[in-house]
Amino acid sequence: MKKTARNIYLGLILFLMYAPIVTLIVLSFNASKSRAKWGGFTLHWYSSLFQDKAIMAALYNTLFIALVSAILATIIGTAASIGINAMKSKGKTIMMGITNIPILNSEIVTGISLMLLFIACRVTLGFSTILLAHITFCIPYVILSVLPKLKQTSKSTYEAAQDLGAGPVYAFFKVVFPDIWPGVVSGFLMAFTMSLDDFIITHFTKGPGVDTLSTKIYAEVRKGIRPEMYALSTLLFVSVLVLMICVNASPKESKDIKRTSKKTAFRRSFRFAVPAVLIIVLVFGGIFYNFNTLKNHSGEKVIVYNWGEYLDPKTIELFEEETGISVTYEEYETNEIMYPKIVSQAIAYDVVCPSDYMIQRMIENDLLAEINWDNIPNIKNMDTTYMEQSKSFDPENKYSVPYCVGTVGILYNKSMVKEPVDSWDILWDPQYKDSILMQDSVRDAFAVALKRLGYSINSTEVDQLAAATEDLIEQKPLVQAYVVDQVRDKMIGNEAALGVIYSGEAGYTKRENPDLEYVIPKEGSNVWIDSWVIPKNAQNKENAEKFINFMCRPEIALMNFEYLTYSTPNLKAREMIEDEDIRNSKILFPEPEDLVNCETFKFLGDDVDSYYNELWNKVKAK
Amino acid sequence: MNKKKLLSGPYLLWSISFILIPLAMILFYGFTNSEGQFTFENVLAIGTAENFKALCLSLILSVISTIICLVLAYPLAMMLSNMKINQTSFIVLLFILPMWMNFLLRTIAWQTLLEKNGVINQILGFFHIPPLQLINTPAAIVLGMVYNFLPFMVLPLYNALCKIDKDVIFAARDLGATSFYTFRKIIFPLSLPGVISGITMVFVPALTTFVISDLLGGSKILLIGNVIDRQFQQGSNWHVGSGLSLVLMIFILISMILTGKYDKNGQGGLF
Repeated sequence: MKKTARNIYLGLILFLMYAPIVTLIVLSFNASKSRAKWGGFTLHWYSSLFQDKAIMAALYNTLFIALVSAILATIIGTAASIGINAMKSKGKTIMMGITNIPILNSEIVTGISLMLLFIACRVTLGFSTILLAHITFCIPYVILSVLPKLKQTSKSTYEAAQDLGAGPVYAFFKVVFPDIWPGVVSGFLMAFTMSLDDFIITHFTKGPGVDTLSTKIYAEVRKGIRPEMYALSTLLFVSVLVLMICVNASPKESKDIKRTSKKTAFRRSFRFAVPAVLIIVLVFGGIFYNFNTLKNHSGEKVIVYNWGEYLDPKTIELFEEETGISVTYEEYETNEIMYPKIVSQAIAYDVVCPSDYMIQRMIENDLLAEINWDNIPNIKNMDTTYMEQSKSFDPENKYSVPYCVGTVGILYNKSMVKEPVDSWDILWDPQYKDSILMQDSVRDAFAVALKRLGYSINSTEVDQLAAATEDLIEQKPLVQAYVVDQVRDKMIGNEAALGVIYSGEAGYTKRENPDLEYVIPKEGSNVWIDSWVIPKNAQNKENAEKFINFMCRPEIALMNFEYLTYSTPNLKAREMIEDEDIRNSKILFPEPEDLVNCETFKFLGDDVDSYYNELWNKVKAK
Repeated sequence: MNKKKLLSGPYLLWSISFILIPLAMILFYGFTNSEGQFTFENVLAIGTAENFKALCLSLILSVISTIICLVLAYPLAMMLSNMKINQTSFIVLLFILPMWMNFLLRTIAWQTLLEKNGVINQILGFFHIPPLQLINTPAAIVLGMVYNFLPFMVLPLYNALCKIDKDVIFAARDLGATSFYTFRKIIFPLSLPGVISGITMVFVPALTTFVISDLLGGSKILLIGNVIDRQFQQGSNWHVGSGLSLVLMIFILISMILTGKYDKNGQGGLF
């Protein structure tokens, strides 16, 4: 009776632990790209996974960093434990206090403090900084696992060995080491796992072109995760599971583990040798793979810093093939995350793709280099209206080349919203309580509220902003969630009736769920332009211009348009679109009369910016 | 013996350069403004209504999840420690294994389960039970915390319980103690280091998380971790962000002192 109760309880907990994992495994076989919809069984993601260079490189980085940091942390940590064990109680307390800091400190503080250190020391953020950071937070886990084992070892055996003529080192490896070996191994495993699972610290200490699986996934969270990721984590999980079963099925140890004899200790070590060997195979595979990809590059390079999922990877390959310039490609999620990285100059990016108001801010702070238009002949393909529009933030068209354009509007589900949608007011309609998705970014949210009240989206009037704040607070109980790019998935999955979204997503969402419709409200909205710019500290300015010029080619712009579904300002590319409905779509390519009340964001100055943030915090905290 | 101490030298150097100096930099940022002048403003920013509310909410949610973790994990750890298997590594791995699936992916998977049209509500719908509002509630955040941090409670408890000499328990029973009395007088006090260490290992990350509240709270519920994250990522105000982190560190310090007091010998470790 008691046993059944026990088993039920154990089962429940294991169910809780593994329910999300089963979900992920199921999703990896889902033919639909959307997380919210079951589109039938497929193995497609598993095959496309291995062809995806970016994911394979991230996997290699993750495993390599985890392995190296775990090994180094184990060595430093084990040595430290021996030292700490030999200390008097005061020294021990201090050392243990320091050891506890990285474990107990919030990861965000650890990550940021390390980033501040690296920037202050003028260390370029990159692979090595991630490694240093990972070693730092891994060592404590090793110490905490080795130290208790060291305390259990009896001093007298060690002394006896020395009395019998063994040197201190020999005695240590023959007598003490086998006893603490299980602790060392579990410390290593813990360090390895922690490094593998870390996101926040890596996020702050990584440099361009270096991605681990976590940072790659995080960049994708906002855009909707690519199913290859589910497939990869399923593979990782299953391989570890299989290993675990193999290891535990190997010869049973003796029941008496209090005093582990040398023999069982080494048998234990065998059990961990299996995964170790596999990992080494993986890592060498990765090195081999990387070597292969590195071979065909000349010395020329260009570092591109772009929004997540904002470029067809094939265009990069074409560019590399044609010019022999190797592209280091790095992604960011928001303008606000990108900006401090440029300011700190920790990394010298060559090409960046910020939005309108951020470009203005960068121009005002003298962060951008003037573009040499002689090197960008393809600018002739550009629709001149967009070059005119760019003047609102780049008055003389000196610094920026438009890449993607669009509007912000309401995406609604015709099956849930019966009345016609043409005004922002509907986002304040109580009958859609819990069915409204708002944008989770300050300027976009305020733009909605300000436009609804008939004000400018660049308002700096205190009373206008106060009114907008009040409206947003009033709206909050009706809002299901504040999200960024997840609007897409949630709308496709019929999770909500109304969502604020960028026009570029309209085509894709409609294809996945025909009930969805996009509209620019009559009060007007935000028209945005994301443009290529070259930072002042760029090391490869000419290559950067070559890259931008390449992106302005009609066929390349078309490839990107088809990949992203975000409108292209490239007139020649638009003319090449085969589907007439898309080519003449008013949503993707609105006529000037559709945009009468629309404005572009402007940078309002640091003080107004922080005032906006303050008001937004008020809304969020209510 | 002195030579042995030298072995911790590399670690000492390492921790000074990568733990203590960075911490000092946070201190510096926390107590200066953008002109580099000394100020208390950043730390006092915790007093504003929004930030204070976020802090209180974080405290409440993390205390609740810590308690739930403890209540769930204690019986579990007792069962595991009573099992007649010597495969410690198996049990440890059973709880570490989920970590091999990326933390973000695991939390996103909960979205799929809890959503309006998610798996749970579809199962409920099958039995004609009206759908529940599960996601974007404080309860969903607590669930996310419990789910992600439960292993950090189970492992120290399990280790502490394993270390209790079974003879002591038998002796108590022989002397006529009921099983509940034995638990209250023998088992629980002896497992205290594990309890304390488990509590800190769950409470601190729960207090400072911002990813879980973003993903499962729909960004409608602002925790102190979100406020700090916002200051660094969106507001680009590193000074206020550092100041608020310093306030958080007070709670972390209290936890550390508590751990140090009850867990002198590191018995309640993770392993």
